[in-house]
Amino acid sequence: MTTLTQDALRKLVGEWIAAGKVCVGPVRVAAGTVLFTRLASADGLLLDGWLRPANSIKELVLPRHEPLYGYRADRNRIELLDPPETVPEQIAICAHPCDAAALPILDKVFNWDYRDEAYNRRREATTVITLACTASDAECFCTSVGLGPDAERGSDAMLFDNGDGSFAVRTLTDKGRAVLGEAGAQGGRTNPPPVRFDAKEAGQFAAGHFDDPFWKLHALACVGCGACAFTCPVCHCFDIVDERNGHDGMRARNWDACQFPLFTLHASGHNPRHTQGDRQRQRIYHKFHMYPEKFGETLCTGCGNCARNCPVGLGVLPLVTEIPHAEPV
Amino acid sequence: MSGTDAFSPKIVAYVCNWCTYLGADLAGTARLEYPPNVRIIRLPCTGRIDTNMVVKAFEVGADAVLVSGCHPGDCHYTAGNYHARRRWMLFRDLLEVVGFDMRRIHFSWISAAEGRKFQQTITEITEQTQALGPYRPYEAVPARPQCGTGASACQPAALADSPAQTQLRETAARLLSDGAVKVVIGYGARGPVFITSPEDAARLVWNETCFANLTTYLKRQEVRALGKPAIVVKGCDERALVVLEKESQVDRAEVYTIGMGCAGMGQPKCAACDTHQPRLANQTIASDGAPAAAPVDRYLELDLLLARSPEERLSFWTAEFDRCLKCYACRQVCPMCYCERCLADKNRPQAIDTSPHRQGNFAWHLSRAIHLAGRCVGCDECTRACPAAIDLRLLNLSLARAAETKFGYRAGMDPAAEPLVGAYSLTDKEEFIR
Amino acid sequence: MQNLYKPDLMEVIGVRQHTSDVKSIGLRFQDAERARQFTFRVGQFGIFSAFGAGESTFNICSSSNWRDHIEFCFRKVGRVTEALWQAEEGDTLGFRGPYGHGYPMEEWRGKDLIFLGGGIAMPPIRCAIWWALENREDYGKITVVYGARTVGDLVFVDELAEWAKHPRVDVIQCVDPGGQTPDWTGEIGFVPTVFERAQVPADKAVALVIGPPIMIKNTIPVLERMGAQMSDVYTSLENRMKCGVGKCGRCNAGPVYVCKEGPVFTFQELQAMPLDY
Repeated sequence: MTTLTQDALRKLVGEWIAAGKVCVGPVRVAAGTVLFTRLASADGLLLDGWLRPANSIKELVLPRHEPLYGYRADRNRIELLDPPETVPEQIAICAHPCDAAALPILDKVFNWDYRDEAYNRRREATTVITLACTASDAECFCTSVGLGPDAERGSDAMLFDNGDGSFAVRTLTDKGRAVLGEAGAQGGRTNPPPVRFDAKEAGQFAAGHFDDPFWKLHALACVGCGACAFTCPVCHCFDIVDERNGHDGMRARNWDACQFPLFTLHASGHNPRHTQGDRQRQRIYHKFHMYPEKFGETLCTGCGNCARNCPVGLGVLPLVTEIPHAEPV
Repeated sequence: MSGTDAFSPKIVAYVCNWCTYLGADLAGTARLEYPPNVRIIRLPCTGRIDTNMVVKAFEVGADAVLVSGCHPGDCHYTAGNYHARRRWMLFRDLLEVVGFDMRRIHFSWISAAEGRKFQQTITEITEQTQALGPYRPYEAVPARPQCGTGASACQPAALADSPAQTQLRETAARLLSDGAVKVVIGYGARGPVFITSPEDAARLVWNETCFANLTTYLKRQEVRALGKPAIVVKGCDERALVVLEKESQVDRAEVYTIGMGCAGMGQPKCAACDTHQPRLANQTIASDGAPAAAPVDRYLELDLLLARSPEERLSFWTAEFDRCLKCYACRQVCPMCYCERCLADKNRPQAIDTSPHRQGNFAWHLSRAIHLAGRCVGCDECTRACPAAIDLRLLNLSLARAAETKFGYRAGMDPAAEPLVGAYSLTDKEEFIR
Repeated sequence: MQNLYKPDLMEVIGVRQHTSDVKSIGLRFQDAERARQFTFRVGQFGIFSAFGAGESTFNICSSSNWRDHIEFCFRKVGRVTEALWQAEEGDTLGFRGPYGHGYPMEEWRGKDLIFLGGGIAMPPIRCAIWWALENREDYGKITVVYGARTVGDLVFVDELAEWAKHPRVDVIQCVDPGGQTPDWTGEIGFVPTVFERAQVPADKAVALVIGPPIMIKNTIPVLERMGAQMSDVYTSLENRMKCGVGKCGRCNAGPVYVCKEGPVFTFQELQAMPLDY
């Protein structure tokens, strides 16, 4: 159907949940905070207006905590236990184009020669229904990284807000058609945010100004938490841990962040990035230079979550717009 | 127990080496029988028993926990048990607010001569726990979010381009040009700024966005490297400085404080604030605009929470902590979290699981809360910083109230007061200790 | 389903203690089929683990010609290595690998080989030395300069003596001034100094230099003076690693992932890399 009312969408979501699918959509979890949350029912799902949830949907393909395998230890004998083969079908409802585009970007690193099947299984099982944006705020910069309020990358279906409690629907892939049927509506007005910087220039600066005092200066306010990395749709660094309780144990991967002081600490005590300036530089370097060099993709979708969540007003946009436009020395 | 009644409780007992452990030994040699359900873990002293060990016991499947040591006055290390007692007084309140089943957490003084008391205590606890059934606190069903519309607790005073801001900029410029300080740590348009030249003082602002507690920067090596600082503090922030000085983290003579009178920033904490005026600053700039309203009861939300049953409370906190990502924004913005290597970052042993799963999240937040007992000044930066909107304010309030009602203590109010958890009194109440 | 992070289960077949805090362990695949098909190139590394403690990255310090087992060498510094320290014959450890690029031993054919190592950096050199000795005709003169702070810090000392017995192999051991024992017959001095004293021509040589940053910094000028090209001087970088397969984002030194595009680099490549390791 090319038009879907909010009620009809809620009804569909209810059916998907009843069928055992994992549905994730924007939910108000506290007075000032909306998060993409696993839905127990379609009741809490927010469908009105433009909202930018404070997190992303990357949890669907890269959970914050993902058991890799278990083990059972009996004296010096170890038995390894695989995690379950099948992952339930997952549907992201009302993701934004900046959330959806993250997935094809992440595909690159997780299939770089070594194929990460844990990631691929989840990716395969995930359908993304994207709600095109009708507005943006001061932290949005999707248009600076080659995306836009109705960019289709990574989406299986697009919804366009008609402004009257209904959406126009365009299904883009087989997965999209499987959940919403055949639909080919066109989008409405989009109000893209203005382009705020040149992503290539940012990458060149990071590459050519590795030791520049710029990084130290602009990182002074950074307190070294992981709020930016963890709410980012494409940051994917992880840690591997071993947790054991008596005879049983498991190894898992957890989200990690280059902003943490311990991230690159060697056992010898040497830390290649021992100041916050080094760590802030790494973030920009990874996103705008290293990832594009390796995979032809900017590791940033311009969602602005980093700046919105940063307790001290930093983030990709605030930092990159401070980069001087002068040529590297 | 046999047949269909298969539950046999697991009791973990953390005992001190010099008294209770020997008391248990005596019970054994005196052939006093007690149920085999208890697993005894021997430590040098109750003062060594970290509160996260109690939580850990429940993580790994204990149905009840006993912590036991020497009687007051008999501690082998003189005062270890006094420190432990004070810590437990606070920790129990925290666990209660979080909704743990307090019938499963026991404290006792058992001396080396009290074999019989050990027998009785273990028997009672085992029978009691048998009747209560297995304990699975980490399987609580998370509560559904209940949230308001997003309106602030109070409206901030409109402060843009105020005389106070002008005075602040002039003060900063003067301090820098006189060479009295090398850097002024203040608020800028987007967040904290570090002004090192008088011309840049114009970047300083004083308005309703100045929520951050800048005292947290006094611990950061990159900021200390800039030289002697001047720091802009509100009344609430100044309390943090008092605590930091008491804990020898800051030399007040080496920090110039510019106190800003404040009628409120529109944050939830502001409605209950009674420190609108900094009291100890080197220089105070009076606030413009209307004076602040009289403070409301700061424990209002805590009372609402305590009116609910323990199961409901546990359900509530499970929903809150389930959202935790372990980003540690709460820790990094907190002025009191200045340990060079946080307990959560140590792995020998791994006292707190780093994983953002339920046990790991409970362990982290409970540990952090108790480490802030008597130290947290309620600046609520942790709550503001949390990207998952966990109500850390409420958690910290539970210990703030414990400190106030049990010890008449409020962190950072009296520069002469002894630290709460670092000290102890011979008359600390122990009605909860067998 | 292939699980990229699932280790092979290995049986500990031997434990050697070299110093007060350094051991090497020999491992055999528990799965016989896996043992049969497993191959690696010297210079590659593995991620070894103790179940209950975690994983840690070490070079595979045995020759790839030894088909029945692999070895790794470690210093006891932290949680994982403390657990590995407790391993005994018959215990089970985990292994993931082989990862990274190894040494381009084929490209080094026909050249003289110069091996310069300090302290715990001997193991990643050892595998290359054994390979070269096992393919002796492919390589020219072999010079080894190996030093440590004290005599007690030298590792694989018995093998050092054995290598010296091979034709056209020079092994020079040294300890820092003050680190010698009364019966020490080797050189006294830092590796770069001792190497310079030895005056080993490096214009037709390939050099492998592994050690603490200060040692490397002082050795490079000596190699240049002896005629070496920076494109023929190699090292094996260390950086903190977790996944080993270029995904977790931790080990990049500038634009390269040390685990996947290294850890072996020439100094020409290193000079183009920012100081991010």
